[in-house]
Amino acid sequence: MTIGLNAFLLVSGLLFAIGLLGVILRRNTLVIYMSLELMLNAVNIALVAFSRYNGTMDGNIFVFFIITVAAAEVAVGLAIIVALFRRRQSVMVDQLNALSR
Amino acid sequence: MNDLLAEFLRGFTATNEWTVIIPEIMLAILALGMLGAEMVLPKKSAQSLIPRLAMWGQALILVILVTAGCSYGGDVKSYFSGMIEQTDVTHMMRAFFLVCSILVCYLGQIYLSKQTLAKTEFYHLVIIIAAAMMLLVQSAHFVMLFVALETVTVAFYVLVAYCRNNSLSLEAGLKYLVLGALSSGILLFGIVLLYGVAGNPELAGSSHDSLAYGELAHFINLNADNLLVKVGALLVIAGVCFKIGAVPFQIWVPDVYQGAPTPVTAYLAVASKAAGFIVLLKLLTGPLAGLSEFLVPVLSVIAAVTILFGNITAVTQRNVKRLMGLSGIAHAGYLLVGVIAALTIDWAVYAVIFYLVTYLLASFAVFGVMAHLANSADANQELEHYQDLARRRPFLSGILACGLGSLAGIPPLGGFIGKLFLFVAAFQAGLYGLLAVSVIGVVISIYYYFGWIRECYFGAQLAETETVEPVPFLSADRLMLGALVVGTVAIGLVPAVLPIIP
Repeated sequence: MTIGLNAFLLVSGLLFAIGLLGVILRRNTLVIYMSLELMLNAVNIALVAFSRYNGTMDGNIFVFFIITVAAAEVAVGLAIIVALFRRRQSVMVDQLNALSR
Repeated sequence: MNDLLAEFLRGFTATNEWTVIIPEIMLAILALGMLGAEMVLPKKSAQSLIPRLAMWGQALILVILVTAGCSYGGDVKSYFSGMIEQTDVTHMMRAFFLVCSILVCYLGQIYLSKQTLAKTEFYHLVIIIAAAMMLLVQSAHFVMLFVALETVTVAFYVLVAYCRNNSLSLEAGLKYLVLGALSSGILLFGIVLLYGVAGNPELAGSSHDSLAYGELAHFINLNADNLLVKVGALLVIAGVCFKIGAVPFQIWVPDVYQGAPTPVTAYLAVASKAAGFIVLLKLLTGPLAGLSEFLVPVLSVIAAVTILFGNITAVTQRNVKRLMGLSGIAHAGYLLVGVIAALTIDWAVYAVIFYLVTYLLASFAVFGVMAHLANSADANQELEHYQDLARRRPFLSGILACGLGSLAGIPPLGGFIGKLFLFVAAFQAGLYGLLAVSVIGVVISIYYYFGWIRECYFGAQLAETETVEPVPFLSADRLMLGALVVGTVAIGLVPAVLPIIP
């Protein structure tokens, strides 16, 4: 049995939706951050699947760029979260509201 | 074997196109060189030398860029197998970003003198962002677009959270990080959908290089009704709208603008927004041109809501950094009207750039005054601090009045001409509804901009317990801020001094 392109796209779309909902609904900054990574990886799955079924290499190469950028983003992001935790002793979004007034 | 090598080298030199991005390469070398210089130089001399190195180095690169741009023919040239595309618009915008980053380095010098922070890295990141934005506006391929955009965004995460002993700055950094990464994810998903659909061999006009703008434009022209194409295009537009701060993706703007250090706020407000608009223009006139019937109504609604939201929420704002952020949303709305007009009127592209230049001059004048007047608690700049400024600091309040007047669009100043060109373009394109909304927005904006000016000139006398201690005000500062205002007035009186609109 071969798995069609649509199956891959379904998985990718579901992962993307889970990530998006996680970013919107969760209160813990670290979980939000994991959800963001999930969104990027959903994109990667779709890229590789498209690349395979369309017979072009661009998608596979694009994935490497996305992974690299995601790594840079994580490095900066965790640094900011740690620095903020040292100041506020909290990573919950609802306690980080000093700016919104 | 030798023949093969010779052949390879000949082919390599024939396609050696690095010379077209020499300014960007030089910026990268400058940025890295400054990090090296900080290690080598003794601490005392490094502190005074490195800001100068940053500014004069960039000024030199600007001269090289402008002289190279003058010899430029005017047609569209494509390099690096279609990754980069140079037009007259990209030449103007490269100079625009360099001027921006020089001004940000200058403001950064004022800001950093009040803080106990690492200094060299600030200039380093500002220059890296400038180089990446210059590449961003030239990109003609989605991989190039993504990499340049992310270089800008990741460097901005660091800059927004730069004041890491201040929790407000860190909080702004975190908010920008989460929403920026979210927007990148959405943009990417849109790109992937477009890539996948356009590469599908069963559809008409499918292409093997479906990430390049040219191929994609061809495909979308043939398949404008495809659902995946529409969803992909919408996601891409949403991702870009995040960067320019258009409603409904504006939630990050006031918080991030308030928490970020003042020079970074200026950089975000002017350069980052400008880059977003040029990318949007390029996408709408390039790959997504075939979808304009579907996208124009969406963008029109976004533009109208953006103008009204920005102006109405700014009215009650007492924190001047938030006020600049919210009024910046309104300016994004006017520019969006210009972008929509540019889909039918050719010269509207230049009207958008003209508006961006006037916005640059006026904004940096205002942010310059803010950087001078702020104390070390950078996020708390309230309107009350400006009470009676005219008596305490007459020069600075004059600069502020000119800058704000230009932002509001008062006739003898540059902002008026910028708005005029945009509105004429919108009129010619037949966007009467948007024009009416824009005019209403401008009227509201006059109220809050002049509220600020009134605070300076007619505000109640400040109690003597004020804490803002005057920073030494050098003649170089006077020259810099004076030049910005002179530029604004000159453009207002003689728009032809800015040879942008052909």
